[in-house]
Amino acid sequence: MSTLSISVGPQHPGSGHFRIMVKLDGDRIVEALPDPGYVHRGEEKLAEYRNYIQNIPHFERPIVHDSSNILFAYVSAVEDLMKLEVPERGQYIRVVMAELNRIIAHLYYMAIYGIFVGHSTMFMWPMGDRELFIDVAQMISGQRVTFAFLLPGGVRNDMPEGVKERAEKACDYFEKRLVEYEKIFINNPLFERRTRGMGVLTKQDAIRLGVVGPTLRASGVKADLRKDEPYAVYDKLDFDIPVSQDGDSWARAWVHMEEMRQSMAIIRQALKDMPSGPVKLNLRGQIRAPSGETFARTEASRGALSFYLVSNGGMMPYRVRLITPSFRNMIAIPHILKGLLLADLPPAFWGLDYWPVEADR
Amino acid sequence: MVNGATSNIFVGKLKDILQYSVKAPLRYVVNWGRIYSLWPVHLETACCSVEWGATSGPRFDVERWGMLAAFGSMRQCDVLIILGTVNRKMAPRVKMIYDQMPEPRYVIAFGACALSGGLYFDSYNVLPGVDTIIPVDIYISGCPPRPEEFIQGLIMLQNKIRASSVR
Repeated sequence: MSTLSISVGPQHPGSGHFRIMVKLDGDRIVEALPDPGYVHRGEEKLAEYRNYIQNIPHFERPIVHDSSNILFAYVSAVEDLMKLEVPERGQYIRVVMAELNRIIAHLYYMAIYGIFVGHSTMFMWPMGDRELFIDVAQMISGQRVTFAFLLPGGVRNDMPEGVKERAEKACDYFEKRLVEYEKIFINNPLFERRTRGMGVLTKQDAIRLGVVGPTLRASGVKADLRKDEPYAVYDKLDFDIPVSQDGDSWARAWVHMEEMRQSMAIIRQALKDMPSGPVKLNLRGQIRAPSGETFARTEASRGALSFYLVSNGGMMPYRVRLITPSFRNMIAIPHILKGLLLADLPPAFWGLDYWPVEADR
Repeated sequence: MVNGATSNIFVGKLKDILQYSVKAPLRYVVNWGRIYSLWPVHLETACCSVEWGATSGPRFDVERWGMLAAFGSMRQCDVLIILGTVNRKMAPRVKMIYDQMPEPRYVIAFGACALSGGLYFDSYNVLPGVDTIIPVDIYISGCPPRPEEFIQGLIMLQNKIRASSVR
């Protein structure tokens, strides 16, 4: 058997800043090896040279369109070291920001998925609707993408007036749009033929490989840190975890779609139940965490995201370890691509929601 | 009047006038064609590509200014947009892609990392600006820049092309 080796990426529409070494037999993929490292910037080492506040914008950069969720894990770790109790209104605002970010990140996923199966309308619609939620987040924080809104001890400022009406208007509109998304994309026969039964990850394999997030839930495992170990005020909110038993690329798109519905339900409840009061603790001067070590994790848009933080009592962390969901999901790439046609590589690869910047750190 | 010594000057002036009257309209037409058909290479180097996606989206719609977010080969493209950090592993690839592009080619450095290393100025693996490996035409600051800033940079590039001579 003679095989042909080709490299997909880093300059390729179907890869991004990433390379997959593919071995082909005819048009079938017999082996696909990921080659990460095109965006490695040494985030963990650099965090040792920045103090706890300077690390806030620094740690947003691995996942710019999901910035509140990664900061949620970081500030939880710092608060755990400093033994801080966040005011309840601050926690509700954090949840609103985290869920807005989840919708923004999932819409980006849907848009790029549309391009990867050659569906240009599905690029334009989510990119346009995404701006609505960016507008709400911009109203709260003042930034378009990187909010830097969560601080140790609370959030940067209170919400201005009119956020609730604006957010509910966006949710009302977007709920109607999701029905249309289902019609033109999820239940589109062409999309189903490109993704049904492609890149299957069975329940046993998903658990054995240790994948996280929507990829794990699409394989039939009901695992979500918002339910399993509730942080902030997630235990007071009522929502479901969408789970699919199929484990293929189609199921991953479906799980993302349903998660946006649940996120909107969370935003509505959080805005309704939000108590009044202070949004942050009044921390004066330079933040110094007492010596010790801690571990905090949250459910980011792509799955469980963990921070391991060691402090020796100084102004800067002694060691930071960041474990991102894309890095955990990368192990599934050779597994799901094996046996597919080369033309099915982009949809199967993007179905994992792999973001190289996050994985390389 | 016209003797052997001055005839060369007259011939030279005539040549200048002829050249100007042909070259100026030609330059205008060629540059006009280039300005409104700028095709970028699809090379994402880091996280600024999220805002590049928003720029191609329906709200900002960069296609109005004649830049089509086409996913073509770099051998048919005019513009190389460096979307963020370039690290030591990516740098040879960026240079290789730049060398494969046909003339005239333009480079836009998008985001603080592509300008100077940005937030990662002291990193062991990040280049201090992409202009250390390839020449850059337009610098757009921000981390990440807003889509409006990209559109402003694009108009600056178009003005630059409009004023340039035809090679």
